[in-house]
Amino acid sequence: MSLEEPDPTDAVPAATSADAMEALVSEHVLSRDDHLNAPGYVVRPDAVQDTLSTLRTEAGLDHLSCVTAQEYEDRYESIYHLKSYDDPTHEASVVVPTPKDDPRSQTAEPVFRTADWHEREAYDLVGIEYEDHPDPRRILLPETWQGHPLSLNYDQERPQIVPLSEHANPLQDDQRGDEGETMFLNIGPHHPATHGVLHLKTTLDGEQVVDVDPDIGYLHRCEEQICQNGTYRYQIMPYPDRWDYISAGLLNEWAYARAIEDMAEIEVPEYAQVIRTLGAELCRIAAHMLAIGTFALDVYGDFTAIFMYAVRDREKVQNILEDLTGQRLMFNYFRLGGVVWDLPEPREDFFETIRDFLDDLPQALEEYHDLISQNEILQVRTVDTGVLPPEVAKSYGATGPVARGSGIDYDLRRDDPYGYYDELDWDVVTDDGCDNYSRLFVRLRELEESAKIIEQCVDLLEDWPEDNRTIQSNVPRTIRPEDDAEIYRAVEGAKGELGIYLRSDGTEKPARFKIRSPCFSNLQTLPEMSNGEYIPDLVASLGSLDIVLGEVDR
Amino acid sequence: MKASWVLLQNGNATGNATNATAGGVARPPSAPLADSIAGMLGLDGVVGAIVGGLIGAFIIANVMMATTAVAGPWAKRKITAAFTDRIAVNRVGPFGLLIIVADAVRLLSKELIVPDGVDRPAWDIAPIVIPFSALLGFAVIPFGSGLQLADPETGLVFAFAAASIASLGVVMAGYASNNKYSLLGGLRAIASNIAYEIPLIVTAASVVIFAGTLQMSEIVAVQQQTLIEIGGVAIPQWFAFVNPFAFALFILANLAEIGRNPFDIPEAPTEIVAGFQTEYSSVYFVLLYLGEFIHIFLGGALAAALFLGGPSGPVLPGFVWFYIKMWAFFLFTQWARSAVPRLRVDQFLDAGWKGMLVLSFANLVLTAILVGVIV
Repeated sequence: MSLEEPDPTDAVPAATSADAMEALVSEHVLSRDDHLNAPGYVVRPDAVQDTLSTLRTEAGLDHLSCVTAQEYEDRYESIYHLKSYDDPTHEASVVVPTPKDDPRSQTAEPVFRTADWHEREAYDLVGIEYEDHPDPRRILLPETWQGHPLSLNYDQERPQIVPLSEHANPLQDDQRGDEGETMFLNIGPHHPATHGVLHLKTTLDGEQVVDVDPDIGYLHRCEEQICQNGTYRYQIMPYPDRWDYISAGLLNEWAYARAIEDMAEIEVPEYAQVIRTLGAELCRIAAHMLAIGTFALDVYGDFTAIFMYAVRDREKVQNILEDLTGQRLMFNYFRLGGVVWDLPEPREDFFETIRDFLDDLPQALEEYHDLISQNEILQVRTVDTGVLPPEVAKSYGATGPVARGSGIDYDLRRDDPYGYYDELDWDVVTDDGCDNYSRLFVRLRELEESAKIIEQCVDLLEDWPEDNRTIQSNVPRTIRPEDDAEIYRAVEGAKGELGIYLRSDGTEKPARFKIRSPCFSNLQTLPEMSNGEYIPDLVASLGSLDIVLGEVDR
Repeated sequence: MKASWVLLQNGNATGNATNATAGGVARPPSAPLADSIAGMLGLDGVVGAIVGGLIGAFIIANVMMATTAVAGPWAKRKITAAFTDRIAVNRVGPFGLLIIVADAVRLLSKELIVPDGVDRPAWDIAPIVIPFSALLGFAVIPFGSGLQLADPETGLVFAFAAASIASLGVVMAGYASNNKYSLLGGLRAIASNIAYEIPLIVTAASVVIFAGTLQMSEIVAVQQQTLIEIGGVAIPQWFAFVNPFAFALFILANLAEIGRNPFDIPEAPTEIVAGFQTEYSSVYFVLLYLGEFIHIFLGGALAAALFLGGPSGPVLPGFVWFYIKMWAFFLFTQWARSAVPRLRVDQFLDAGWKGMLVLSFANLVLTAILVGVIV
C-alpha cells in the first residue's frame, strides 16, 4: 500500500495512550467506561466543554465524529465519539451521564460546531437537553411533535395530532419588515436542485444569500429504531441499503458488518474480503458517477450531455453489481462473516465484463474532463465559490470527498484499514482548493483510484485457489454479544465516514443502534459555504456536497 | 392584432411612396406577399391590401407556429437525444412525429391552475404578449420567393422593436405571478434583455452601415453580390463572410436574447425553478413555450437575413434555404444547451456590459470607418 509515512513535523501533541489522555482531563473524569473501540471517560455534565477542548488541543482529537444519545433505566447518556483527523485509530469517547429527572448537559457546540446538529438530534429523538445550545430546536421531527421517540417511556400509541394553529405554516401570508431589503425564500422541499426533500430556508439580499438554514427530516424513516428492533444476524442487514440509496448500498452494508463483526468477534475469510472490496468500490464508482452527473446538472442547468453520459457509465457498473448481487438498488449482499454468495458463474464472463468496463473508463473520464473540469465556463462558475477552509471543515466533522476537497488527508480505507484495502496499491486523492471545483475534481480522480482497486481485486480473484473459496465464515445462527458491550466503527462510505455505534444488552437485538451519517455532518457546512454568495453558487455548493436525503434523515 | 396589421401596411405604403420619390431608386413592392395574394384574388386598392394582408399574415403566422410545433415537442427532444446518446420519442407515428399531436392534446387538456393572489389581467395577458411579439417580428422577414408580408423602409427596426415587446410580457409574467421565483426570473430577464439587446442592435447597425438601408429586402439584396471568386465558385457577399466578427457577436447576443444556454439565466431550472413561467400551466404554459420557440426562430430568421444572405443558396428555392438557415440556428441553440454550462447571473451581466457592449461598439465604429474609407 502506497501511503506516505505521517510527517513527524505536523504530528499532534503526543498524548495518545488511554491513560495519558485520562491524565490530561483527570480533574473531570469520574470513572472509565471503555468501549471496544476506544477508552471512554465519564465526565460531569458541566465539564463537557472543558474536557472536549482539552482533548482537542492536547491530545489531538480534532474530529467529533458522532454524538450518540441514549436512555438507560437509571440515566441518560450522551457519548461524544472523538477521533483524530491525522490518525482515525486514535480515538476516545467522552461519556456524559445525566439524571433521569433532569437530563441537562452542557453543549459541546463552542468546541465542535458539528455538535450543533448532533445535539439537536439527541434532544429530538432521546430528550436530552443541552444547556446554552445556540439553536435548541427539534431537527428531524416537526416542532409540534409530542415526546421523544427513542426514550424508554415513549408512548407510541399517543396521537400526534396537534391543532393546526400550532403548526408552523411554511406558506405564511405576505409579511414585510420595517427595515432591511432582504427577502425570505423557501428553496425546497420540492425544488429541482435540492436532490431530494431538503428544505432550505433562505434569506436573500437581491440575488445574494444572506443566510441559509437547512431544514431536514422530511425523509426520516426511524432507521435507527428499525435496526434496534431487528436481530443482528439477519434482520438488520437489508436496512443499510436504504440509507444512502444512490447505489452506495454495499458501502453502507459494510459499515454495519464491520461494527457487528468487531463486536461479536466474527472472522471474515480473506476471499470474502476481496469480494467485499470489489463490490464496495464498484458501488463507490456508481455513487460518484451520479454525484458528478447531478453536480453538472446543477451547474449546466438541464438534463444535458454530461448528466446523460454519467448515467450511461453508471449503468454499466449497475449491471456488474446486478450480476454480483442479483439486485440493482437494495443489494443485501453482505452477511455477517462474509457475503451471501460467490461470484456469478461463469466467472470468466464476469471478470471479462468488469475488465471491459475498466478498459473503457479512462476514455469516459477523458470525456468528463473535457466536458466538466476543463470547461472554462464551469471553472468560472466553481473555482473559488463555496469555499470551505480545512479548519472549518474539521470543526463541522466533514469527511469524504468534501474533506479531501479541502485538503484534509483523511480516508478510513487507508487510515483505519478494513477489508482488503491495506493489501492493495492505491492513493488517497486530496485537493487544496477548498472550493466547489476541488470537490468535483476529487470525485473525478477517486474514480480512477477505485478502478485501480477493482482491477487488483479482479486479478486476485482470478488467481484465487479453487479449494479456498470460503465466502462466509461459520457464524452462529443467533448472535448475542456480551451484555453492555459498546462499539463505534466506521467505514469510508461514498460520502464520507459512515459510522455505526452499537450497544448490546445481552439479547439478539441491539439496545442502541446509532448511525453516523456523513451527509448529516457535511450538509451542516452549507451555510458556511454559501452565506454571501449568489443563489447559483448555493445550488452548486449543495451539489458539490453530494448529499442523499435518505442518509441525512435516516 | 389583425387591425394593427392593416394600419401597418397603410403606413408602409405611404412611407414607401415618399421614399421612392426622394431616393429615386426603384423599390420592391411594400408588401410583396399581400400584394400577390390580392392580385391572385383580383382585388386591388384598400380592400385588396386588407384582404391580402390578413391572408398573408395568416399564412406566415401558421407556418411559424407549425414550425414551432415541430420544434418544441419533437425536434428538440430528438436533437437533445442525439447529443446525449439516446433515442427519444419513437413510439407514436413515424419517427415519433405524432407525439406532436399527442403532446398538444395532453398540454391543452391539463388543468389551468390559477394561483392565489396573481395579478389577474397582467397574469393573463403575459402569455399572449410573449408569442405574439415574436410573431409580429416575422411580418418583415424576407423568406424569399416573394414570401414577405411587409417590406417597410424601417423593416429591421420594426423587427427588433416587435421582438423587444417580449420583455414586457416577461416582466408581466414574473411580477404578476405572486411567486418569488417568478419575480427573480422576471428581474433576471429584464437585466439580460437590457444588457444584451444593446449589443444585438448595435451589431445589426454595423450591417446597416454596410448595406446602407434598414429595409430587409435591400439588406438581403446587397448580400447577393459576389465578394470574391475562388476557382470559378463565386462566394457571395454575405455579411457573415464580410464581417465574421460581427456575426459571432450577433449570434452570441441572440443566444442571450432568447435565453438559451449558456445564457438561460431567466429560466435557470435548478436555480429558480422555471423563472417567470413557474406558475403557468396548461394553455398559458403552451403559449409561453410557443413564444420562446418562435423567438428562437425569429432570432434565426434575423441572423439569416442579416448575415447569411437571406434566401440565397444553390439549387433549392429561396424560401427552403431560408427555412434551413432558421433551423440551423435552432440546432445551434440546442447544441449549446446540451454542451455548455450556464453562467452565473452576475458573470452573465458582466460579460454583457463589459464585454459584448464594448466589442459591439468597437465593431460599429470600425465598420463605419472602413465603409467611410472604401465607399
